[in-house]
Amino acid sequence: MPTRRPVAALAFAAGLVVIAGGVTGLLLTRHSTPAMRPAAVGVGAVPAPTGPIVAAFPAPTGPIVAVSQSAAPKPVAAPVSLTIPLIGVQTNLMTLGLEPDGELQVPPLNMVSVAGWYTGSPRPGAIGSSIIVGHIDGDAGNVEGVFFRLRQLSAGDKIYVKRSDGTLVEFRVTSVQQYPKDHFPTEAVYGPVPDPELRLITCGGAYDPATHHYVLNLVVYATEVS
Amino acid sequence: MNFWSVSTRRLLMLLAASALLLGIPAAATAFASSATTGTGWIRLAHLSPNTPAVDVYLYSFDNSKAMIVLHHVAYGTVSPYESVQAGDYSVAMRAAGASATSQPVLSTSVTIAAGHAYTVAGMGPESGLRLQVLDDALTTPSGQALVRVIQASLKQQEVKVTLGSTVLAGSLKFASVSAYQAVTPGTETVTVSALSAGAGDANSSVTLAAGTVHTLVVLDGASGLEVVSLEDASGSGKPPLGGVQTGFGGTAPHGPGSPVPWLVAIGAGSLLALTGGLRLRRNRQLIARI
Repeated sequence: MPTRRPVAALAFAAGLVVIAGGVTGLLLTRHSTPAMRPAAVGVGAVPAPTGPIVAAFPAPTGPIVAVSQSAAPKPVAAPVSLTIPLIGVQTNLMTLGLEPDGELQVPPLNMVSVAGWYTGSPRPGAIGSSIIVGHIDGDAGNVEGVFFRLRQLSAGDKIYVKRSDGTLVEFRVTSVQQYPKDHFPTEAVYGPVPDPELRLITCGGAYDPATHHYVLNLVVYATEVS
Repeated sequence: MNFWSVSTRRLLMLLAASALLLGIPAAATAFASSATTGTGWIRLAHLSPNTPAVDVYLYSFDNSKAMIVLHHVAYGTVSPYESVQAGDYSVAMRAAGASATSQPVLSTSVTIAAGHAYTVAGMGPESGLRLQVLDDALTTPSGQALVRVIQASLKQQEVKVTLGSTVLAGSLKFASVSAYQAVTPGTETVTVSALSAGAGDANSSVTLAAGTVHTLVVLDGASGLEVVSLEDASGSGKPPLGGVQTGFGGTAPHGPGSPVPWLVAIGAGSLLALTGGLRLRRNRQLIARI
């Protein structure tokens, strides 16, 4: 019937539109996202924090007057926040322990923007290797974790930790390393060191959807600037 | 219909291409072989009771300009550790205030290996002063603390050192160093007693945490023996097992989703267009017939 003509034409046109949409959708989703995450650039750098920088004790660089370690270094306060100006990290620090199976606790899924200090490690600024961990990302929606840009750090970059007494301790990155998780260098990361050091840990490498874990750990090594 | 065959061929090609893309293993990631940055640690100490204060110089082997100078280092002083590039160094002692270019009273060479720590200490009586290089431990048995004793009391030539009920050194002679001993973490009383009669004991409470390395230094105090506890190194008493699960994969590369919804849409669209198209043609034929 001639009166049905506009309806038929409309159906034909709508059908073509749906086909076009389907083909476009199919084409657009046939590519996996790039194998390497694009380097994050243009990060809103945060200013270095201010506050008294109090070293646990002075280090013997340059001519200094007799330094005695005879009196044990004063205990330092617990860490409360972390700032990495270069990559825009500014976060409070939660406390982390060990899981029942002995693995290191990590911040929960709803706190991927917060880093945590492992309370079984020395406090930042005290002698020894202090451990701070943070997520690289959330579970969906391209949500970046607090340490998403950690791999952009390199030797010489500055890291600041503020402590509960308001004092600030400044660290300098000495190296950035990646390790397969099944060959994690426990001794190098968690073992004793004789000066105040910091290790920042996050994930890296490929994500294994089968295990829901990344295959590598990224570790930033830093020492206190005195 | 031609449309279908082209579409199917293209789809197959796309599927094959994406399978290839997915199949490329991301195993090409390179990682550095070790965490070492090629640095070690050194600290300097004055542990000779009757030697006046000294200036201590640290030189990199091929450089006559001192890397580190500690001025007026008196008996009983132990510096913090300094991180230095692995390599050969020399340590020189001069009388406090002596010119940096004057002949040192004493000097010794020390080779610093990456990841290792050393104490270079002036030890012995002034008449027999020597610079001793000590290899400092940086690993502890799991869940334990390490402790050793440096005997730097000249007045009491031989001492016994106990930590709680543990004997750290039964008879330690002046200017000698005990071997490291692994001990159970906790707070204990250190007791230093002279083996010769008449001298009082020195007591001190020390807390030794798991994963820490300590040196106890026995000194001649103003009145009798003194003991000083140094925390040389510290790590995680309970090292976490394995790697750290610090990611949920939200920003990770993902494979393509299922093509089924898109294929269904294409199918439904085709059906719609086909129905509409057929009806249009029929209408046109009807009109033509009129």
